[in-house]
Amino acid sequence: MLRPFTLHRPETADEACALLARLGEDSAAYAGGTELLLMMKLGLLRPRHLVDVKRIRGFGEIGLESHLGPRGPSPATAGGANSEGTRLTIGAAVTHRAVERSALVGARCPLVGSVARHVANVRVRNVGTVGGNLAFADPHSDLATLFLTLAASVELVSPRGRRELPLADFVRGPWETARASDELLAAVRLTPWAGDTAAAYVKFGVHERPTLAVAAALRLDGPVGAGRRGGDRIVDARVAVGCVGPKPERAAAAEACLRGASVADLEDAARAASDIAAAGVDPADDLYGSADYKREMVAVFVRRALGIAAARARGVAPATRFPHAVVA
Amino acid sequence: MSARPLRVVGHPVPRVDAIEKVTGRARYVTDLTVPGMAHAKVLRSPYAHARVTRVDVTRARARPGVFAALAGADLTWCDPYYGPAYRDRPVLAIEVARYEGEPVAAVAAVDEATAEEALELVDVDYEPLAAAMTLEEALAPGAPLVHAGQPPAGHFADLATLRPRPGTNVCHQFQFARGDAAAALAGADVVVEDVYRFPPVQHVALEPHAVVAAWDETGALTLWASTQNPYSVRVELAKMFDVPLARIRVVVPHLGGGFGSKTYAKLEPLAATLARAAGRPVRLAASIPEAFQTVRRCASRVAARAGFRRDGTLVAVECEADYDVGAYADIGPRVVQKGTYTATGPYRVPHVKLDARAVYTNTTPGGAFRGFGVPQLAWALESLFDTAADRLGRDPVDLRRQNFLAHGEEFAPGDTPIDGKLEESLGRAAEAIGWMQAPAAGRGRGVAAMLKASVAPSVSEAIVRLHADGSVTVLASAVEMGQGTRTVLAQIAAEVLSVPLARVTVVQPDTAVTPYDQTTSSSRSTAMTGRAVQVAAEDVRDQLLAIAARHLGVAARELALAEGAVVAPARRLTYAEALALNFGMTGGELIGRGVIAPGRTAAPLGGSTPFWEMAVGAAEVSVDEETGAIRVERYVSVADVGRAINPLLLEGQDEGGVVQGLGHTLLEEMLYADGHLLNGTLLTYRVPRADDAPEDLECRFVENADGSGPFGAKGAGEGSLIPVSPAVANALARLTGVRLRDLPLSPERVWRALRARSPRA
Amino acid sequence: MTIHTVVNGRPHDLDVAPHALLLDVLRDTLDLKGAKRSCDTQVCGACTVLVDGLAVSACTYLAVEADGRSVLTVEGLAEGESLHPLQRAFVEAGAVQCGFCTAGMLLTAKAMLSEHDRPTRADVLHYLRGSLCRCTGYRKIVDAVLAAAETRS
Repeated sequence: MLRPFTLHRPETADEACALLARLGEDSAAYAGGTELLLMMKLGLLRPRHLVDVKRIRGFGEIGLESHLGPRGPSPATAGGANSEGTRLTIGAAVTHRAVERSALVGARCPLVGSVARHVANVRVRNVGTVGGNLAFADPHSDLATLFLTLAASVELVSPRGRRELPLADFVRGPWETARASDELLAAVRLTPWAGDTAAAYVKFGVHERPTLAVAAALRLDGPVGAGRRGGDRIVDARVAVGCVGPKPERAAAAEACLRGASVADLEDAARAASDIAAAGVDPADDLYGSADYKREMVAVFVRRALGIAAARARGVAPATRFPHAVVA
Repeated sequence: MSARPLRVVGHPVPRVDAIEKVTGRARYVTDLTVPGMAHAKVLRSPYAHARVTRVDVTRARARPGVFAALAGADLTWCDPYYGPAYRDRPVLAIEVARYEGEPVAAVAAVDEATAEEALELVDVDYEPLAAAMTLEEALAPGAPLVHAGQPPAGHFADLATLRPRPGTNVCHQFQFARGDAAAALAGADVVVEDVYRFPPVQHVALEPHAVVAAWDETGALTLWASTQNPYSVRVELAKMFDVPLARIRVVVPHLGGGFGSKTYAKLEPLAATLARAAGRPVRLAASIPEAFQTVRRCASRVAARAGFRRDGTLVAVECEADYDVGAYADIGPRVVQKGTYTATGPYRVPHVKLDARAVYTNTTPGGAFRGFGVPQLAWALESLFDTAADRLGRDPVDLRRQNFLAHGEEFAPGDTPIDGKLEESLGRAAEAIGWMQAPAAGRGRGVAAMLKASVAPSVSEAIVRLHADGSVTVLASAVEMGQGTRTVLAQIAAEVLSVPLARVTVVQPDTAVTPYDQTTSSSRSTAMTGRAVQVAAEDVRDQLLAIAARHLGVAARELALAEGAVVAPARRLTYAEALALNFGMTGGELIGRGVIAPGRTAAPLGGSTPFWEMAVGAAEVSVDEETGAIRVERYVSVADVGRAINPLLLEGQDEGGVVQGLGHTLLEEMLYADGHLLNGTLLTYRVPRADDAPEDLECRFVENADGSGPFGAKGAGEGSLIPVSPAVANALARLTGVRLRDLPLSPERVWRALRARSPRA
Repeated sequence: MTIHTVVNGRPHDLDVAPHALLLDVLRDTLDLKGAKRSCDTQVCGACTVLVDGLAVSACTYLAVEADGRSVLTVEGLAEGESLHPLQRAFVEAGAVQCGFCTAGMLLTAKAMLSEHDRPTRADVLHYLRGSLCRCTGYRKIVDAVLAAAETRS
């Protein structure tokens, strides 16, 4: 049951920030409400003012570099090769569903679209937003883990101006971010992988929310995928692990030991990388499982994610049928 | 009677309430509005065990819009205790709160929001007490006592012989012995033994408990309640308020699932109490988290031993079964007694020694849940059977077949003879799963069997009315909770009276209108209520035949019913015509009465089950050895049902039973830590989803028309669930060599067991 | 706040509080009781309705969000007395037991069919991940959805 509140519907970010600044702790930014309204119903949050950010220009858009103007290529032309450095911007109020169906996302960050297809369930995807997901910093979020491998940063606006913060710094811990109370999460920026990259995202767990999630991206020294064989050596690797610790983390040491390895013969390197990744996580005993089990599952699924990414790089259909696991 | 082919019974007709359900028109308790209705909310204890030193509802009562605010101490104008086994459960905590979530105060207000806000104005002081959260804690010497003293007996007839152990947390001990188990075990060639655990799980009926209670100007009480037992609820309320049974009316609309969670009084006493205090109707609708604080399955620890001769003959079974019945007994003692009584399953066992205890703990009360104590024991015995097969070098299917009770053999001296052919079920299940062929690589197969008694003695009564236009009303109090009883009862009446199904209306249970029926549980409705409807319809039939014989001048034995008419060799009289002739006008009706009341017997539990529910399950599983996650690739259930009155609905019951069984087998467990339930919401308590159901799921029936129910039917619906856990665990054992004894077979538990078997290099 | 919304084809101007949930407005104001409150946490799907064709959890969706949009509840699925193919398939396949999940299942399936001309079993399972049924074991529900898709194509 929801307690009464006043609903504000600003049309500009400045207006919204002014409201948040004025109302302070008594207010909350509201977009899809799938997390916020849930917490309010459970009595965990009791804001008396909700500031609806969905009408703010640009907040509902997906574009290249800046979402504030429709400067990105039209979806029809979006299929071209990535131009290095052009970032994909997803407005805070874009729903998971819109991400799943966006041609631009599909062209620039295809794995993001695939992962969006598996967030929670179809009703949550239809309403829940990327911004809300990141701003709540639920440790069992899918997006944050994946976004870490895309050098994500978030754009925060406040009466004091705008600032951009790496996602890794924005998410501080469970339900804790670097957002000041008068700041608004406006967008997330993703740096698409170079064209010679193959990737995978795997989540595992029997509960409503995943026990663990792994995102892995391998950049090769040549083209990837069926019919474009040529790349074999890994020149760059990104591995992120989420849900098991207080916040999702990149596994830098694991990434390092993948560089230079061959995707055709990845087993040893993948095993080493997955063991390193597992050693680096900080799980706790909770209803999702014991710490040692979760650590071991990190090793298993980092290895599997790397195997899937490597298979994709080679244009081979990977084995993706694991019980209680979703592969994107 | 002539052996004419059945027209309606035995056919897979769509359920009679299907249209109202797919159009959203079916009404459940929470869909009802009664004029002037207030809305209730409940304040619940945050402690597993605490002395409630003060509850002050003054501020809540003073809040505008509040009609009543009650604490336990306010209930001086009624008997505030209820419970079917022991009347040990107060409507609101009195002096002590015995589990987290126990109602401590309640408010009725103009709307739910006002009621919820008023709860925050209730001041409560608690003094936390040491809690006994598990069987081990509750049975330890010096354990905190959940209840002091001996609570008064409840109303359940079978439990006249309750045996509590004063000064301990044991609220009932049930012992049963036959032969000399100790000597037989000592002389057995192979003895297998182990300890098996079954977790506390919740029913998760999608509709949580709900009640609307209204006292009228004459002092009569009406409740619209989501209950499987309107007549049991009536008894509780009559005692509480000292009102004659005839002054209490319990009406039951559609139930959004029951599975045992809505047997016996749950929220009805509180709603009725609030309505009395508020002086107006009160609606009390629980949430899913509150359902977790209302009832659950009794968790168990079963130590079982079985002795075999070298030739595979089972000679003895010994079981010590402890069931965790939570903070209040509910029907737990009977779950324990009845579940334990059939611990030996469908097998011939000359020497038996059973010793079971119902143990109070400071957790949500345990009660009835599909299977009623049998899944806990079948988990033990059916797992042990495979262990024995391994030790004896025998095929598990073969070893079971060798030891099955035969058709017609007494389960126990003085009890109902076996009325089915389990070897037929087992044979069909084995064939369907391909038992004789080796499974594909990475797959393992397992089987399990079950036997369960229905509640006995029990009573069902029915009235069938034939109206002037030839349409039919069935009055019976079996509750429609999704299982399809309304359809089955309509089919039975339509069959006997030779009218189309659409001409039969089954009235919703209403204790002011529909006659006594003991309970909608124990898989009994088709066999018992259905039989009562059959008898009542036959009563109408006989009256029709007599009327026609009189008016046609033909002997009744030369008449038959066909297509809404009494048919004589040369003439035909429609029912409308027959009634018009009988009454000399259009008007008047025929009333038939059916009473099924087998009464008490010399059987060990005081009554003999009207039928045995028997089934076999066969599972084929794979396991992800790195994660421990099991996938049930194929599952076959074969139930011996006597006759499937409606094969479509029965198949649905059994499919649902299998998947519900997969829930407690693979996923479900109420987890407690530091006195708190950790996962009492659907965000954290995981029930099976569509993608958890085996893609290859077959539910079949053995039909030999050998049941005591209508047209040879027996009860069904629990049988498919019970073999699931042992069938899956047996399959896992055959695949991996790992034998698990604790449920659920969660990925982590399986992973640990696999790792213990072969430490990672 | 006043909202203009079309529910099952019928326009309504409703005065709703900002904190009013769509589920309560449908059930209590418009007396459309087909959508049910169950888990109240967007997990079970019993409260599913379609807003502009998209499935949402009405239990966690502000009624004001329906302003300017059209809402479809189970009561609007049939055309007069003529059942929607999904409803017919559910009846015939035995996909209904207690009925508490049925409205949500039907509407979720309808949303799925609007996106998939020829849905596979996997498509159906993907869509039904957030729709719980405790009675049927799902098999007949999935079969009914596939049968309805078949009828339509």
